[in-house]
Amino acid sequence: MARDLAIDLGTANTLVYMKGRGIVLNEPSVIALNRQTGEVLATGSEAYQMIGRTPGYIVAVRPLRGGAITDFEITERMIRLLLQRVGVSRFTRPKVVICVPSAITEVERRAVTDAARRAGAADANLIEQPMAAAIGADLPIDEPVGNMVIDIGGGTSETAVISLGGVVALEAVRVGSFDIDAAIQNHIRREHGIAVGERTAEDIKLAVGSAAPTGEDVTAEVRGRDLMSGLPKTVLLTAEEIREAIEDPVSAIIASVIRCLAKAPPELSQDFLARGMYLVGGGGLLRGLAQRIQSETDVPVKMSNVPLEAVVLGAGHVIEHYDALKGMFMGVRR
Amino acid sequence: MEVVLVVLIALLLVVFALVLRSRRSGDAVADFRRQIDALSPEARRGVTDRVRRLRPDEVPEGGDDHGS
Repeated sequence: MARDLAIDLGTANTLVYMKGRGIVLNEPSVIALNRQTGEVLATGSEAYQMIGRTPGYIVAVRPLRGGAITDFEITERMIRLLLQRVGVSRFTRPKVVICVPSAITEVERRAVTDAARRAGAADANLIEQPMAAAIGADLPIDEPVGNMVIDIGGGTSETAVISLGGVVALEAVRVGSFDIDAAIQNHIRREHGIAVGERTAEDIKLAVGSAAPTGEDVTAEVRGRDLMSGLPKTVLLTAEEIREAIEDPVSAIIASVIRCLAKAPPELSQDFLARGMYLVGGGGLLRGLAQRIQSETDVPVKMSNVPLEAVVLGAGHVIEHYDALKGMFMGVRR
Repeated sequence: MEVVLVVLIALLLVVFALVLRSRRSGDAVADFRRQIDALSPEARRGVTDRVRRLRPDEVPEGGDDHGS
């Protein structure tokens, strides 16, 4: 008998929660394929290590971008392999709850559920990421009070106001931590004339990236390929220039938080001042982001204890109480 | 006689529909209650326990820690 599963199918990472057991898989959403034969060579962490470092016949790709499936067939194969790794086979077909960005289109919804069903799920239902995040972050969403959650993922950022088990206001933008990495890549290419890969850009973000001045005078030494000579070259980057480079995506995320605050009913707005907003998702770990949101909104911002796992833990709670909470699935609202 | 039969059937149908409707609204209340109960702190204790167990050492390894 298969144990039911909750899946956080993220642009950056895929996490799987198994009913009664907890998180059983946490891997990058990456798949490596043989370009000529189409065979899968690796998934997850192993495939992630290959990004930008493969010979011509291998391609390591992220099949999701901006929270949406960009390649249906590859996504299906990745989901199937990940489910196989947690024990799903053609004889054990579990019920599956998948967390998706709230702003996905009907076509994208169908693509995700079809991919899960073809990958071995007996039944696949979707739940909005901010709702799952609020449950996973242990917010009192069963009470008639305003709970605000900001989920900054790899490809999307979503802000939601939740009360009495339902979404009251929601704002989503297809901007996330990958856009911050891309802004760093573009800056280095434009200002320093060197090309760096997506993983190097992410390392730079982790080393010196910030959304607001942190008081630390840190620098990062970056090696890349000189665009003029083609030779390897080293440059020194300061925290301040990286902060300026990522200003556009950071501003877009903060603007969406402000729009969500503006949509909230006044009775719930006053709750935010007392209770604060909760930040989840890997993108929320960017240094100074919580302080920046707090200073621009005048609302306290708190970091979840489990920013990277909050969404899958929330979906895991839904799978543990499947019958009672099935009204929360997308398209099943009462 | 036929007219009386038709009226009786119509009446029965109306009564049946009313009973069904009241039962449905009762179900909606019960379903909402169940949903709220399933989101209560007591029901969520399983998740909070898992969160406690996750920290600090039990987070499974992933390649990319920034973005989910």
